[in-house]
Amino acid sequence: MRVLRYLVVVLYFLVATAPLVWMGLSSLKHRDDSIRPHANFLPALSAPATPTDPRFEATLAAYRQLGEVHAGAQQSFWSHLGNSVLIGVLSTLASVALGTCCAYGFSRFRVPGAKDWLFFILSTRFLPPLAVVVPVLIMYRTLDLQGTHAGLIVLYTVFNLSLAVWLMKGFLDDIPRAFEEAALVDGYSRAQAFVRVVLPEARTGMAVTAVFCLISAWNEYGFAMTLNSSGAITVPAYFAGLQGNIEGMPWPQIAAGALLFVAPIVVFTVLVRKNLLRGMTFGTIKQ
Amino acid sequence: MSKAARGSGGLAWALVGPTLLLLIAFNVFPLVYNVVSSFTNAELIGGDSRWVGGAQYTRVFDDDLFGGALRRTALFVVCAVAVEMLLGFVLALSLQREFRGKQAVLTALLVPMMLSPAVMGLFWNLVLNGNYGIVNHALAALGFDPPQWLTDRDLKFWSILMIDVWMWTPFMMLISLAGLSSIPTSIYEAAQIDRASAWKVFTRITLPMCGPVLGLAVLFRATDALKQFDLVMAVTGPNDGATQTLSTLLYQVVFRDGKVGLGAAFSCVILVVVIALATVFTRYIDRVQARDGV
Amino acid sequence: MRLSTAWIASTCLAFAMASCGGESAPSDSKSTTTDAAGKPAITVWWFQWDPATGLQELGREFEAETGIAVNVQQIPLASYQEKVFLEFGGSRTSFDIVIGDSQWIGRGASKQLYVELTDWLPTVVDLATIHPRAAKYLCEYPENSGRWFAAPCETDAVGLAYRKDWFEDAAEREAFRTRFGRELTVPATWEEFREVAEFFQRPADKRYGCAIPSDRNYDGLTMGVQNLLWAFGGKWKAEDSNQVVGHLDSQGSVDAIEFFKTLMKLGPKGCERLDYGQVLESFTNGSTAMALNYFAFFPGIHAQFGDKVGFAVVPAHDGRRVASLGGQGLSISAKTSKEQQELSKRFIAWFLKREVQEKWITKPAGFTANSAILSSAEFRAKTPYNAPFADSVDAMRDFWNVPVFNELLTVTQRYVGMAVDGEMPTQEALTKLAQEKERILKEAGLL
Repeated sequence: MRVLRYLVVVLYFLVATAPLVWMGLSSLKHRDDSIRPHANFLPALSAPATPTDPRFEATLAAYRQLGEVHAGAQQSFWSHLGNSVLIGVLSTLASVALGTCCAYGFSRFRVPGAKDWLFFILSTRFLPPLAVVVPVLIMYRTLDLQGTHAGLIVLYTVFNLSLAVWLMKGFLDDIPRAFEEAALVDGYSRAQAFVRVVLPEARTGMAVTAVFCLISAWNEYGFAMTLNSSGAITVPAYFAGLQGNIEGMPWPQIAAGALLFVAPIVVFTVLVRKNLLRGMTFGTIKQ
Repeated sequence: MSKAARGSGGLAWALVGPTLLLLIAFNVFPLVYNVVSSFTNAELIGGDSRWVGGAQYTRVFDDDLFGGALRRTALFVVCAVAVEMLLGFVLALSLQREFRGKQAVLTALLVPMMLSPAVMGLFWNLVLNGNYGIVNHALAALGFDPPQWLTDRDLKFWSILMIDVWMWTPFMMLISLAGLSSIPTSIYEAAQIDRASAWKVFTRITLPMCGPVLGLAVLFRATDALKQFDLVMAVTGPNDGATQTLSTLLYQVVFRDGKVGLGAAFSCVILVVVIALATVFTRYIDRVQARDGV
Repeated sequence: MRLSTAWIASTCLAFAMASCGGESAPSDSKSTTTDAAGKPAITVWWFQWDPATGLQELGREFEAETGIAVNVQQIPLASYQEKVFLEFGGSRTSFDIVIGDSQWIGRGASKQLYVELTDWLPTVVDLATIHPRAAKYLCEYPENSGRWFAAPCETDAVGLAYRKDWFEDAAEREAFRTRFGRELTVPATWEEFREVAEFFQRPADKRYGCAIPSDRNYDGLTMGVQNLLWAFGGKWKAEDSNQVVGHLDSQGSVDAIEFFKTLMKLGPKGCERLDYGQVLESFTNGSTAMALNYFAFFPGIHAQFGDKVGFAVVPAHDGRRVASLGGQGLSISAKTSKEQQELSKRFIAWFLKREVQEKWITKPAGFTANSAILSSAEFRAKTPYNAPFADSVDAMRDFWNVPVFNELLTVTQRYVGMAVDGEMPTQEALTKLAQEKERILKEAGLL
């Protein structure tokens, strides 16, 4: 039994991480090596003599080239990463802030039709973005938000709200009401009690919510490609937009970019690791 | 209701109002817009749209396109979720015990689900390329006749499914771990005293106690798989008959063909499915939470 | 439900917006785009390939002469169409000139996205100097109406590139003679083409017969297939009407696709799904004997291989030879300011001058529509690909260019794709395709 367990874990670990390792190796290649008809997978310091050699010359060129404007694009990877950071961070902050307020309202007050509203909020998560993108596009054209950072920030905020509200409601429901009531007795106003007593208690919940919102805003593609054809293009839309360029795909740069792009997410996830499960299960599991 | 909750209706609306307004603006408005334009022949460009009654809906149901995409999406959802659940649960069972470096292993296993599917889908084009992909090199070296993962019409759908499984099994694993860790050890100890077999412990204790959480995980993944778009776009593009899903069909109809009216009719039909799913989802959460006394 | 108020409010809003159809009035902004130095500037959009680089070079000469800067932005082909039409959907486009695919002309003209040039163009160029096929397919809409919505920019057609060094290799020639009982020559017919491809198809040596555009994403497969379709006597539609049934589902079309299917077994792995870039890559990585691709790619091939490659017109069948038309015209966006449109006209007028066209053909893959230049002995002798190119222009034809071309393309790609992949019998696929096409045309009021 124990051997079997060990085997399962090791086998899966190898299979699951192999593409990541390959991505790491590919990011160290020259483009020609990345599409060489003969397998090459061993990094070496110098170029091998024959094309059938399994070694390839390791280089950091792909990382350097991320700073260059690739043919078929208007800006370099870094400026697209800047767009992603701006849009991802601001929309995450907004989702968490709005979602926390809203969840607090539903958690502590008698809101008429609360059940219906909560259902409505959740149902927005189920809709494929492609089903609403045309009306949003038309709305954005009217408001002149097409191709702007603000447009995507607002949109991602809205589409993460359902998640934020439901996650935060789970966390807030767990904070004993006695805390606030004590604060009210001490002469705090409701708003003060919320800011000074409830929010500090909800910190971890907000962090977990932020990670989920960030992941989905960071990696979103459907809206990013349809709403923004020439301005504020995020990293996923940038790389996907290189498809069909006649120089072929810059594989090493894509590998390097993908690794750099996922790094911040990994770091954040590790930071909130302990509370992650709580969020993923919508509060149905206590820890 | 506690004391604090009384007499603060204004504050309550101030708290929930902005969120609700935003959600209405970005969801209800598009839905109503879709319903209206699904009865017209509106196009992406050019304003002269006419009222065409139910003609678009007739096309939705006459056309084997929608049926095909629906079938394919359903197949995708069922297979992806089933495989991911099974794999994830088995992994979680195997990872249940503590061991050295467990946190590092878990973190590494979680990376695929944090990657952008659009970018990762692109990269899989390189990994699975028929001529110079590393997978086929490896298979050839082992003496197999390597298949054409992404161009073979019978295979490409399953290749995309495989990529999805790679990306999302960690998610199922994580939730399964949560479910397993929520089972009090005292129950296992009691079973041990009763000399229950390992299989009995699994079917009588582990599965039933994890059930609700696993159900939630399944619903969660199913809704995401239902929206499958990024991977298909990256691997085969939106107009490939063997891999077209509902979302990529919508993309093709609306953004390539410019048929907004028809796209709206598609969206409305999809919406019905979505509402049904959302109902199941909330009912489920309600039930689980009620059972746990939340 | 408390949602009723919200629903009513947004219903009203939605009706209001649906009734204006999301169409905004063209911008009447008086501003002129200027570059960083404050000079007037125009922006040109084209997809990414060598000719666009050549056009940018010409643009710099134009700037030196007139002080008007020209910025050619190159967009990857896979997303070019969507990007252009998303721009057109807005109130103003970020380009002043779009070099639109020949097939877009109907959409651009009938939806008032392109500025009509009918009255203006004859004042700056003698229309008789423009090759009639280029004029018909790149510039005019509707067919035979005499209304111009574009000026010819890149004239292009599908041609054949082959490995001359392999064809001239004595051992290969001997082996070919033994096997097929004739000389190894540049294929003049599709049957010969298949024999040669078969001959060079040696997967064990990583050597392959042929690479043909066959991508399912945009138009690759259709552009690849139609070279055979017309040669085998098939048709997309009737000559004098938009009738499809009885023409597309004819025996000639079936034969063409059946033949095409056999060619899909004579290329590198995965060759039933190659876009233009991948066809190019298969050829330039030295593994493939013959490639069908647009002439615009050939100068690059020639630069890389020199004498080792040769070029020819596409093969024929029963004496019928038709090449898929490529190429694009310069169209002025109707959604840019009047000042910008005037600057754009100045650039187009300058570009069409004989002496500029003479320069254009010296640029990488700059192919002119000027018939005097095309037929000159000097042009034909200049490069190994010029003569077959000039011959191809006389033989080129285009797919649909009606406003609903894209829907027609979508169904064509799908049904022809199913036939090629063997998912549906060819005859059945073509019958269904013909019916689908007639339905689309009827809905659009074109049949």
